Amino acid sequence: MLVGAFACAHTPQLLARPSTEDRDLVLRVHAAFARVKRRLETLRADAIAIVAGDHVEAFFLDAVPALAVYVGAECSGTFGRYRYRFPIHEPLARAIVEQGVERGFDLFYTQHAPLDYAFYVPLHFTMPEPAVPIVPLHVNVYLPPQPTPRRCYEWGRALGEILRARPERVVLMASGGMSHFPGTDRYASPEFEYDRRLLDALKAGHGRELAAITGEELDKMGNVELRTWTTLLGAVGEGKADVYCYEPSWHHGNAVVEWPV
Amino acid sequence: MTDQPHYRFPPASAYRLNRCLFALKSDDAFRARFLKDARATMSELELDADDAAAVVRGDRDALLARGAHPYLVFMADLRLRMEREPVSFEFF
Repeated sequence: MLVGAFACAHTPQLLARPSTEDRDLVLRVHAAFARVKRRLETLRADAIAIVAGDHVEAFFLDAVPALAVYVGAECSGTFGRYRYRFPIHEPLARAIVEQGVERGFDLFYTQHAPLDYAFYVPLHFTMPEPAVPIVPLHVNVYLPPQPTPRRCYEWGRALGEILRARPERVVLMASGGMSHFPGTDRYASPEFEYDRRLLDALKAGHGRELAAITGEELDKMGNVELRTWTTLLGAVGEGKADVYCYEPSWHHGNAVVEWPV
Repeated sequence: MTDQPHYRFPPASAYRLNRCLFALKSDDAFRARFLKDARATMSELELDADDAAAVVRGDRDALLARGAHPYLVFMADLRLRMEREPVSFEFF
């Protein structure tokens, strides 16, 4: 069953706090992550299905999947001195890939691919105690052509149905967003007003509207990663978002959000 | 889908260049060799002379003009700076 749904920023500066960051802002985002962690403990999650966009870490130009599921026994990744290893909830992962394919989604799967920081930055801060296994779900956000937001929403709707029919208590987490432009001339000028309008729509329960946004608009607004949220929104439907925080830094709109399921 | 101003389809002509930036970003051993002898690692990946020169200079504009993916340029540079100036990063 699906017991919770959250979106979490994953900017690596939240982890490896360089001197460029506003310390108080970072700590406020950490406090929102701590709330998510307590919620996961209250919800007694058995597994976290985490939707994130690989930052060209597992999937380089040799093979570019639109949607992928990690179905190995475990997964691991490193960023500088940070090293992470998580067990994968294999029966759940296998059910997602098998039933996803059955429902018409031509999913890529991997039993051995590096885990990107987009997965482990939120898990670093929100993993409940005792820890639970995960299922990493990749959505291509950085290597055009990316899946359309509409396709992500449809995949999310199927994913939600699959999770609701499972015996485990599953939390769905979307990692990423909001506006940021890494590597471009826009890095220091994200579209914070666009983010705020999106959050207002989500607070009003209008998540479905995100499925109609074009890929071009997401790129222009620094929100290519919003596809992970759109996937989650397909699963949670029209519930009203509870925004734990929206913290715009000099380069990134950091949001932490929960939806009712 | 064709008119994305920030992240564009990576041209096939830039495959080796992007592979080099990917290695600087994600391959610790390669990054260490690069920091020791940048030019030697360029020949290791069979980069052409202009691509190699842009990587060694860390010339972002030249790299982008040659088809490098902006995110790879960004993170390869960040990972190199993390190695060169570890004290500016506060770990916890």
